[in-house]
Amino acid sequence: MKPKVAFFDFAGCEGDQLQVANLEEELLNLLGQVKVVSFREVMKEHSDNYDIAFIEGSCTRLQDEDRLKQIRKNAKIVVAIGSCATIGGINSLKNYKDLDEVRKTVYGENARLFDTYSARPIDAVIDVDAYVHGCPIDRDEFLQVVKSLLLGKKPDIPNYPVCVECKKNENVCAFERGQFCVGPVTRAGCNSCCVNEGTICWGCRGLVDNPNENSQKEVLIKYGLTVDDAIGKFRLYFGWQERKR
Amino acid sequence: MRIILKEDFAEFVNTLIKNNSLNVIGVKSKGDKFAFGHLESASELRLDYDVTLLPPKKYFFPQRETLVTYNVANGFSAKDPADIKPMVIIGVHPYDIVALLHMDEIFRETKSDPYYFEKRKASIIIGVNIQKMSKWCFAPYMGCAIIDYGYDLMLTDLGNRYAINIGHAKGEELLMKYAKNVTDALARDIQLVGQKKREIMSMAQQKFDFETELIPELLSKSYGESGFWEKHSEKCLACGSCVLVCPTCYCFDVKDNPDLSLEYGERIRTWDGCLLEDFAKIASGENFRPTRPTRYRHRYFKKGKYLFDRFGFISCVGCGRCSSNCLPDIANPVNLFNDMYHETRSMGVQVAPATEPEVDIQTEGNIDYVPKLATIVKKVPMTAKETFFEIKLDDGSDVDHKPGQFVEVSVFGIGEAPISVSSSPTKKGTFELCVRKVGNVTTKLHTLNAGDKVGVRGPFGNGFDAELLKGKDLLFVAGGLGIAPLRSLFNYVLDNREDYGRVILLYGCKEPRELLFGDELLALAKRDDVEFKPTVDWCPENEVWDGNIGVITTLIPQVNFDPETTYAIVCGPTIMYKFVIADLKSRNVPDNHIILSLERRMKCGVGKCGHCQINQIYVCKDGPVFNYSKIKGVPEAL
Amino acid sequence: MKDKNFDVEVHHVTRVEGHGNIYVNVKNGTIKKCEWAISEAPRFFEAMVVGRQWSELHHITSRICGICSIGHTLASLKATEAAMSITISEQDLKLRKLALHAENMQSHLLHLGFLVLPDLMGVGSVIPLASSNPEEVKTVLRLHRLANEMSDLLCGRTTHPQRLLPGGFSKIPSMRELTSLRERLKASVPDLEAVAGLFKSGAPKFPDLVRETEFIALTNPDEYALYDGKIASTDTGTVPVSEYLSFTNEYVVPHSTAKRAKHARESYMVGALARLNVNYDLLSPLAKKIAKMFELKPVCHNPFMNNIAQLVEVVHGVEDSINLINELEAAGLQSQPDYNVPEVKVKAGRGVSAVEVPRGILFHDYTYNEKGTCTKANCVIPTNQNHGNIELDMKALLPKILGKTEKEIELSLEMLVRAYDPCISCSTHYVKVHFV
Repeated sequence: MKPKVAFFDFAGCEGDQLQVANLEEELLNLLGQVKVVSFREVMKEHSDNYDIAFIEGSCTRLQDEDRLKQIRKNAKIVVAIGSCATIGGINSLKNYKDLDEVRKTVYGENARLFDTYSARPIDAVIDVDAYVHGCPIDRDEFLQVVKSLLLGKKPDIPNYPVCVECKKNENVCAFERGQFCVGPVTRAGCNSCCVNEGTICWGCRGLVDNPNENSQKEVLIKYGLTVDDAIGKFRLYFGWQERKR
Repeated sequence: MRIILKEDFAEFVNTLIKNNSLNVIGVKSKGDKFAFGHLESASELRLDYDVTLLPPKKYFFPQRETLVTYNVANGFSAKDPADIKPMVIIGVHPYDIVALLHMDEIFRETKSDPYYFEKRKASIIIGVNIQKMSKWCFAPYMGCAIIDYGYDLMLTDLGNRYAINIGHAKGEELLMKYAKNVTDALARDIQLVGQKKREIMSMAQQKFDFETELIPELLSKSYGESGFWEKHSEKCLACGSCVLVCPTCYCFDVKDNPDLSLEYGERIRTWDGCLLEDFAKIASGENFRPTRPTRYRHRYFKKGKYLFDRFGFISCVGCGRCSSNCLPDIANPVNLFNDMYHETRSMGVQVAPATEPEVDIQTEGNIDYVPKLATIVKKVPMTAKETFFEIKLDDGSDVDHKPGQFVEVSVFGIGEAPISVSSSPTKKGTFELCVRKVGNVTTKLHTLNAGDKVGVRGPFGNGFDAELLKGKDLLFVAGGLGIAPLRSLFNYVLDNREDYGRVILLYGCKEPRELLFGDELLALAKRDDVEFKPTVDWCPENEVWDGNIGVITTLIPQVNFDPETTYAIVCGPTIMYKFVIADLKSRNVPDNHIILSLERRMKCGVGKCGHCQINQIYVCKDGPVFNYSKIKGVPEAL
Repeated sequence: MKDKNFDVEVHHVTRVEGHGNIYVNVKNGTIKKCEWAISEAPRFFEAMVVGRQWSELHHITSRICGICSIGHTLASLKATEAAMSITISEQDLKLRKLALHAENMQSHLLHLGFLVLPDLMGVGSVIPLASSNPEEVKTVLRLHRLANEMSDLLCGRTTHPQRLLPGGFSKIPSMRELTSLRERLKASVPDLEAVAGLFKSGAPKFPDLVRETEFIALTNPDEYALYDGKIASTDTGTVPVSEYLSFTNEYVVPHSTAKRAKHARESYMVGALARLNVNYDLLSPLAKKIAKMFELKPVCHNPFMNNIAQLVEVVHGVEDSINLINELEAAGLQSQPDYNVPEVKVKAGRGVSAVEVPRGILFHDYTYNEKGTCTKANCVIPTNQNHGNIELDMKALLPKILGKTEKEIELSLEMLVRAYDPCISCSTHYVKVHFV
């Protein structure tokens, strides 16, 4: 019996669902193992009878909560995919701003028509069984999580920093190149893909379980970043996780 | 010594590159740094480098390597090593060569790692003497800046030419076959090389304030130093950089990677590091090295003391990579040891060089990473969390274990878990396991049924010394799941009853419904050659219990025994040991009459991957059975 | 049709990116309501980037969209570069154009193969097609994969590309990699022709709707404008990019509360069809051939032909990419250091950029202070600019199809929306409206 899966999206860019489409030929293999019963972006049919729900995007409004709770009721397993769903993602940048200011900036006098509250990951509202981190998700990691769910095993998501993968890939450390990186406190599993492409880690996979944040901030400042910029670096993706701490 | 002009050397390298049967590797630039990489042309070589990002060990012990492949229909097989192209690695500095020699010893201790050695055998090392030394390097202090062995060829830059020392016939053959215009060195050349070597010895910018041979003893006096390790590790990010770039580190993790079809897959080993938070964590969530100071300290002790005691060398070659890669700058061994030396001296403690340890490295065959296919013959759930399995190996053989040993059980696509064998070796044809559902492998195992297949490797570990116990009175103390490994010895003893004196079994669980092997124990209670006392911590209202109520230590006063003739064999949750041992000691049981079976995170089962280490001890190899007298001084043990 | 009474309510139209609703109410044969309402949660990007550094903006704005990330990133970089007077090398310009082609190809192929094709084959999604028409599906996947791998090669990855930086690239492909890509592009032509054939046989299913409207796209005398150009309107003519506000005129609509745009008429259209209408003569030879196959030529006012215009652009993308690689090869590829960081002299300023992304013309407008901190930002998304047109097209189509069944009407309206290939979550200005 193939498990029934459904895809849902909230406040996000749909880039994670695109990664599923980008599986290309592997997508056909995936369809051999699961039955997709709802995937609004790709198919007309919809069913509320599903075993596994993949959810992309953050919860940014009170009315999103009801929809999330309904999905939780219908599904046996809920998987958050992508940073917006797993940690709040880039949406959480706005949490640091006065939300009224934000609405006025974008909508002018019509601001009163648009409601919003702090962007949050979906596990702030419902229980989540598995996470596929990243902005966007890594296709191989997505498949690894799917395989784990099919096998009945807890997915193996690293609890060590990106530095581990960066060193294995023999990169020249960003700090040695005069750049500033939050890899030492960011959860690995992406194979240090951004540093491999010649840049830095921006922290899109969220903090490891027990980051030494003070040490990381000190390192950033030691290498030349201002205090404000160091704090700013942590707000890009860690906005929700930082507030919780 | 020979001489070759630089142009001729370049041509030699280009000739090697053109030879398709060789993989020619050399030091190249990468950003502002350097790294070993595949050479397309001799012009890419940067023999004037200071240090590479990663050491050449990546060619012999790669970051990621498939060990075993599996197919649900046929079982497991070793990854075919067939197509290892011979490698010529050009530009290895002496400290990295020494590191490879350390790795050789480590990978052949007791059992040899075939994946490592087949690559070592297929390679030719062309070393180069250091021209520029990184500011972090302290190899001269570790005796690793200049060497005269371990390489096939060693180059020294003499301006327009290289001096070549021949280390091994393999190197000479390579030279003769592919190089032109190789002449004998003149006296002047030999003198120049000597001069260069002397210069190298004074290039280090790092300075030790003491003789580095004091390091092992210095460490042994600093283990519990209050505040020292906390102070030094406060800024640790647990990023693992220091160990991942280290030429002598060899800890690894093993993971299974199934294909999407779930029909087949591979088992992969990948670099791991003891500084990482979950390195010593087991499936139940218990972490045996949970804090930064304990993990930070472990690295220094492993390099400077434990490996020294086992192999006779301090396993640090002074390359300085750890120091240069540590962002908060806390990983520099020079700073740490200098600080340790001064603190120790200021407390008036004298330190002398350690006596050379007695080293006897034996190799008894290859490590077998490939599980044997086995079939579940019987499955009986015993409690809510534990299930009993009877298993037979498909090839008809017996596990042939000693009581107390464990096997590594594989479940297709999930992984491998260490489980003590619960049956006595006197039971032939099948063996028994009592498995608690706690992590991925055990949870999946619980869903399997008679007829399903699993993989089995082993037996591993040292097991109980049944000979030593002959003629003695035996006091078994089992807590919870601890009864499972003890049962293998217990049943063995019962099968050889006349060889042993009194046999007493004390067994404690949290509550009655958690008792394991209930029926067997009832039968035991009826025997008159066994004294059986069970207890539960408490008895809930809806359960029936007429035995003792209280923790296991409440049973000990209820037993009369002679400490001189009695051996206590103890196994249970970590917290239990302290209290049981205290009670036994208060009854004058000698230290060496107390035998424990400990658990840790075990992966390879053969003392290589590093996860099960308790200070200098490998639980999978030197244990899991320990005589208390041997480990009472081991801080991380209990 | 006086007895025609029905409601069509499509909540969260399927096979479009983002959340949009169609509301239709017909009473006694009269259309009482015909609305296209957006229900996407607002994310407020223009406010989020205020206070962030010039070196971060492209990373943040890339996250506006997962499908046209490369386009948003390039628009963002161009705006920052315009604000700080940064120029990029000829080589980097060609590499960016290749990146944009890769994105256009990837997005159009996804849209055509996954979102539109099922309607033409009478199924609910591409999933049953995987069993009934495996070869066709594999052809689309092959082409899609080529476009993705091209994005990977040039930008690091399709979604949220890492290699694109202010002033250049962190890493560039080797000439060997580019020539190998060129071979694959050349070899893809049979697959392209197969897809064209597939759509030729399905095209009759598109309703023949012609409603005159204004088309706005970039225009450039030297090439089919995607990366650079001036803003052109089929009604009024050309203006420089800096005057974009005079064209977009965004406004909030009470019943839908989604920002819309208008210029010379009630609404205008952007996207592949608009681009083709403006730049037709500069299409590559094979692309023109495909256009002729469908009798598509300027000025075409049938929004369903936006689908075919996308197909034509894929072919053009392949051919133009081959040309760009030839040019890079002829000039010789200049290498750059590993982990390159282009030099940027930070200064205060305002920069406006326009880039054609798959769904139409995209504007980014940034203001920086002397420290390089963003003080103001404005983004005008292509799909915003299409909403007015979508609704008017719906209103024009509905009377023509009133005689059909409710299911058919629903499908036709959905196909109309899909033809626009809207990228709804791209728009930062959408809100859900509750209808009682």
